[in-house]
Amino acid sequence: MPTDQESSTISLNTSKVHLNPNSHNKLNGHQRNESSNSRSYSFLDYYGAESPPQISSGSTTIKKINGLDTESESIDPSTSLDVLDLKDDTLCADGDVINNSKSLDSEHRENYIQPINMASKSEILKSNFDRYGFKKGSTLHNITMEDYNEWFNIYSDSELRQLKKWHLLMKHHGFQIEENNNEEYIPTRFPPRSDKVKKMIRKGIPSSWRGNAWFFYAGGYDKLNKNTGVYEKIVANTRGIKNKDTEVIERDLNRTFPDNIYFNSNLSNNTDLKEEPNLIKSLRRVLIAFAHYQPQIGYCQSLNFLAGLLLIFMTEERTFWMLVILTEKIIPKVHSQNLEGVHTDQGVLILCIKEYIPSLWNILGKNFDGEPLEEDKILIRLPPITLVTSSWFMSLFVGILPIETVLRIWDILWYEGSKTIFRFSLTIFKLCLDSPDFQMNSQNGSSETEQIELFQFMQSFPKKLLDSNLLIDCCFKKIGGYGFGSLSQDEINRCRSFVSKQREKINQKNKNKSLTEMTDEEKTLIGNDIHDIYGFNRSIMSGMVWNKNIRKKLSSHKKK
Amino acid sequence: MSTQSGSNERFAQFKLVLLGESAVGKSSIVHRFVKNTFDDLRESTIGAAFLTQQITIPETQTTIKFEIWDTAGQERYKSLAPMYYRNANAALCVFDITNKSSFAKAQDWIKELKKQAPEGIVIAIVGNKSDLNDEREVEQEEIENYIQEQKSEGYDIINAECSAKTGDGVLTIFDKIGRALPVDEVIESNKSRQGGGISNRRTGGVDLSRPRRQQAGQTNSCC
Repeated sequence: MPTDQESSTISLNTSKVHLNPNSHNKLNGHQRNESSNSRSYSFLDYYGAESPPQISSGSTTIKKINGLDTESESIDPSTSLDVLDLKDDTLCADGDVINNSKSLDSEHRENYIQPINMASKSEILKSNFDRYGFKKGSTLHNITMEDYNEWFNIYSDSELRQLKKWHLLMKHHGFQIEENNNEEYIPTRFPPRSDKVKKMIRKGIPSSWRGNAWFFYAGGYDKLNKNTGVYEKIVANTRGIKNKDTEVIERDLNRTFPDNIYFNSNLSNNTDLKEEPNLIKSLRRVLIAFAHYQPQIGYCQSLNFLAGLLLIFMTEERTFWMLVILTEKIIPKVHSQNLEGVHTDQGVLILCIKEYIPSLWNILGKNFDGEPLEEDKILIRLPPITLVTSSWFMSLFVGILPIETVLRIWDILWYEGSKTIFRFSLTIFKLCLDSPDFQMNSQNGSSETEQIELFQFMQSFPKKLLDSNLLIDCCFKKIGGYGFGSLSQDEINRCRSFVSKQREKINQKNKNKSLTEMTDEEKTLIGNDIHDIYGFNRSIMSGMVWNKNIRKKLSSHKKK
Repeated sequence: MSTQSGSNERFAQFKLVLLGESAVGKSSIVHRFVKNTFDDLRESTIGAAFLTQQITIPETQTTIKFEIWDTAGQERYKSLAPMYYRNANAALCVFDITNKSSFAKAQDWIKELKKQAPEGIVIAIVGNKSDLNDEREVEQEEIENYIQEQKSEGYDIINAECSAKTGDGVLTIFDKIGRALPVDEVIESNKSRQGGGISNRRTGGVDLSRPRRQQAGQTNSCC
């Protein structure tokens, strides 16, 4: 057995346990745990091994279920309150039911991966996977291992500096920091909102603090305290149910993060036993519970990515409440049955583009014949680029940007709210427009080829934005930035209500029909009405007050 | 952006949309066609993905470029669907041959297209996962009956089966569609716009705003 036992487990009051990165024995022990009753697993477990660890045989699994493993025992007693005696084994897919697993599944719900700040950089550089279990060299993102390592080599140093600043901030606010070489300090409470905190968050929350910080600033504790035991009850009540939602959920579980070792057992080398990963089980329970709790939403494809990423950083219960907060407060109706929020937010985004990035609008705001789109058609027939950008809002950039960049945006999003999505969408657009590659490609072409270039570019360009600091600086920096940091939530809210009111009016006229489904004849029929409704004989957004500062900023940026 | 190269070569560009139940393999078909790759597990598509690929029809020395919109399969994404098939020249309605309900869904899509899509759109019904023939739930006969039924109503629907996994039949689908598309008309129309110059200045095939007679006489398209 390894000699570094004492460093192998760290007990935290949030019930995570770190395992030692380098121990092969631990790896096996860890895997055994994972298939039985471990409360914790760290991605770093994998780093020591060139190949992912062996998975123990099924029989071992069953035998181990009722015996607590020493490696998983160092759990803070305070968390035992969270351990519920639920039999949700029937939720396992395809009769993959493990008997005697009463305590098993309830404990699994407390599992999550704990990325470690202090992790030795060289370990991460050696591995094929990043800190969160994602394959580094992803075909999806056209990023190679070398690209990743080159970036991470520098990034991880800046992260460590940032971590020190966070420690200072915590101390400044009177938080006790236990300095212990073996234990990483991970706070569960954070300083109250302030400009200083906001600034720190924009520079990045330490990876291992993320789950707690997101939950804290998004108002998770409020939700949790008002709803003690609710999640467990829903899980119990929805155990084994089958309906339209669960059908789609089942199909999506393994299509959530096929590139992540925690979500895809095929990434492990062992071919004998392909047990369903714990995080897939958690994902299933969270999504089914959510669909049950928010019937007006049910299950919407893209929630799988949101829940999946949250599950890497926090428990199932917290993941569940974060989804509730997101869909109630941050991007309401985006995931609803008719995706009304998608139409609204895309309308808002388009109006922002028109207002703040006119050079982009020059490309987007034309039909394929090169004629400018009529103002009054914009909200009825959103420009085709929204087919690309709607997923940015639905999956909050998961799968769109490299994972660390997504996490940096999520840091800001959970603290600052939905304006963040608009700010970064605009920043990505502007970066794309300004990139030499795009300018090279789009020099000579018709309107159609220009738009098609743009569609393709807008899909591939964000995937390569590994440099999250650059993206964030471009968004917020006072000097040299685009100035989208001054796009206020108030402005977004007003624009949202403007767009949704307009859509409502049109919808009333076309009951049971989505705007985009209207035929040309119908549009001609109601054409005059549209003019009345929108006041298009004036300007489309006469009701809107735009932020002059952003426009000024952008035009000065252009001059440079 | 490719432009016309050889002097005898003809070039036309068309919009194609993939529709169908989630997890039937829409994205996998596109990736097989565009990149000739296959992954057992592919991330669910959110919203839509956009790709392009071109094929050549040797007999007529025609290069056809497809602008492909690959869409999310879940029912509720239907509210975004008109955006996809707006001005589409072709649609692949994909189902999974091992899943009967996905076949019904593909038929629903065809119904929808007949109502909403531009006139003259070329429609194909595509059974994917032909490598899983042992688990087949949708028999060829059933599909054939459906095609005949549609034909009697005046709609010519292309029938194709493929396996994105093995690659079997994937190219054939796009070849069949390429041959059914109104290539000549588009090239003619481009020429007249361009005064005979470079022919892909406006290559978007047919759309609603064009006179319908342009789209008449297409043997393989529904009207």
